[in-house]
Amino acid sequence: MNLMTERNLEKAVNDKMNAQPNAIKMQGKEVTVHYGDKQALFGVSLDVPEKMVTALIGPSGCGKSTFLRSLNRMNDTIEGCKIGGKITLDDEDIYNPKIDVVELRARVGMVFQKPNPFPKSIFENVAYGPRIHGLAKNRQQLDEIVEKSLRRASLFDEVKDRLHEAGTGLSGGQQQRLCIARAIAVSPEVILMDEPCSALDPIATAKVEELIDELRQNYTIVIVTHSMQQAARVSQRTAMFHLGNLVEVGDTEMMFTNPTEKRTQDYITGRFG
Amino acid sequence: MTDIALNPAAVSAKPTRRDIGLKRRYAAERRFKLYGITAIAIGIFFLCALLYSVLSNGYTAFWQTEVNLSINLDPKIIDPDNKRATDPNVLLTANYPVLARNALAEKLGVSSSDRAGLRELSKLFSEGVRGQLRELVVKNPSLIGTTQNVWVLTGADIDSAFKGQIDLGVDQSRRKVSDKQVEWMNKLKSEGVMAQRFNTGLFTYGASSRPETSGLGVALIGSLYMMLIVLFLSLPIGVAASIYLEEYAKKSRLTDIIEVNINNLAAVPSIVFGLLGLAVFINFFHMPRSASLVGGLVLTLMTLPTIIIATRAALRAVPPSIRAAALGIGASKTQMVFHHVLPLAAPGILTGTIIGLAHALGETAPLLLIGMVAFVANSPVTPLDPATALPVQIYMWANEAERAFVERTSGAIIVLLLFLAVMNITAIILRRRFERRW
Repeated sequence: MNLMTERNLEKAVNDKMNAQPNAIKMQGKEVTVHYGDKQALFGVSLDVPEKMVTALIGPSGCGKSTFLRSLNRMNDTIEGCKIGGKITLDDEDIYNPKIDVVELRARVGMVFQKPNPFPKSIFENVAYGPRIHGLAKNRQQLDEIVEKSLRRASLFDEVKDRLHEAGTGLSGGQQQRLCIARAIAVSPEVILMDEPCSALDPIATAKVEELIDELRQNYTIVIVTHSMQQAARVSQRTAMFHLGNLVEVGDTEMMFTNPTEKRTQDYITGRFG
Repeated sequence: MTDIALNPAAVSAKPTRRDIGLKRRYAAERRFKLYGITAIAIGIFFLCALLYSVLSNGYTAFWQTEVNLSINLDPKIIDPDNKRATDPNVLLTANYPVLARNALAEKLGVSSSDRAGLRELSKLFSEGVRGQLRELVVKNPSLIGTTQNVWVLTGADIDSAFKGQIDLGVDQSRRKVSDKQVEWMNKLKSEGVMAQRFNTGLFTYGASSRPETSGLGVALIGSLYMMLIVLFLSLPIGVAASIYLEEYAKKSRLTDIIEVNINNLAAVPSIVFGLLGLAVFINFFHMPRSASLVGGLVLTLMTLPTIIIATRAALRAVPPSIRAAALGIGASKTQMVFHHVLPLAAPGILTGTIIGLAHALGETAPLLLIGMVAFVANSPVTPLDPATALPVQIYMWANEAERAFVERTSGAIIVLLLFLAVMNITAIILRRRFERRW
């Protein structure tokens, strides 16, 4: 190890970075974001590989949530927000005026920091998406979608007897899994998660993390997290942001054991952030 | 133990506590509480004084003195020339009060030749008997020739005397009922044929110069029409405007100006809206005067700012996380608004609307300007017919001098306050029931 030259190390990192078995699902090229006069992202280029969990880490205010939210154009709802550069989904520019934002969000679902179920029944929470997108032809199909989504979010067994009770009556962890089920129900290709466990206790966090790991088989997941351990546990790739710039991106294992950038190392070891 | 107690050093060793003004602070708190309690007590006192004065004056208006007469519907008096089969006007113009007078004279033993006695007797019952008997006969002409038991309204002065509102101790020349009439009144009362009965006329009669036959009927219909117009115009317009301003409109100078103007409109004196209604609806669009349609339109203009402000506040109170959740699974903006935001804001919107309606129901000034302060005797059929409104009716009765109108004024205030209370309680119940906490 000590004998390893710096060049060798660099090569090893590059090898790992290049060895992407999965196709690129989403791609950001020189993405810039302005909130009014304030610039939040300074030209971020990041690839999101298919059927993998990509974790975005970095100190508060570093632009990771901003980048995440520009992946399904949730930033559009913020007044004064301007986006530059290019973001593609399956090589299609999602900021192209021809792209329908509603359709985009049906393909790129989102789970938020705080569980935010609709103040409706558990069933209605999950059924809402399929219903507005016309994914179920009849009540039976809708029932199936709801059950499947709840099962995938490993929530079905806990709520199967009270599907018609209020979703807001569940515990925090259950609510977050309900939100994940709600996102899954519209069969998205990508799921964006904005610190999904920050409002949950460790046990609920463990369940959600387990769930994320399972979902990886079917969905491309991008997760923003403040917890290094969480990034290490659930993600395959990690991107480190700092002050609106992408500092480093690579395989998670590599990032945590052998970061090339000093800032990454400092952040991971808790020297700043 | 004793050592310590006797040791002066130990005593002085106890640290002297800093004066941090605790006493002063608690005194200030007590003082403030006292101010608050005083303020509330003053408020409650005036509320009680108001309610007491209205209720004590007005409760008698809900009972009206009536006398039960066996009236012989004599064909010789109703139709002396026996032409009723050919001329329908005969039944309409017949001298019905004479029938009632004769029935009463028979009962009280007044001779038909005693002209002065009969004249005084006629004042015992109301002129309203004309319309009452006419309606009876016109509806069923076969009753002519029979004897019917009818409850007839007494005159307003007899009613006041019967309710003890006229001081019978003063000389009869200085009061409105004569000793003779009082004597008859007491006789009828002891026989049980003169009694107070529930005053349905208060809710059905229109305007009249005779207190006993004047009622809130026209005003109630007018107010009802206006409330319906206000509800069906201002709710959709107000909610649509609020949704657009709150959810769709991009923040710009224009929306800022609109916002300031809406807030200002809510504070514009209502009489100005009356002038606007007069100028626009009546003088420009030539809508009929005194019509509840115009009143409703004016009150709609007045209520709109209130509803818009309440609706926008209710929309703003819906947490952004719900909007984000809906957009995040691909709901369009309109779906987000109508499926999630609006249902959650509905209790707030309803509360605002009901309070706006209650405000409109009690509004008088703009209605005076568009001519709803008219003497309207017949019930309006459509909103285009002349009508009055509850508060305007109160205003008109308050200008009358007779004792019987005083009690009617208070009675009408009670009715209006009841409506307002019911509406406000409904608003509170709706808010309690549908309010959600996140």
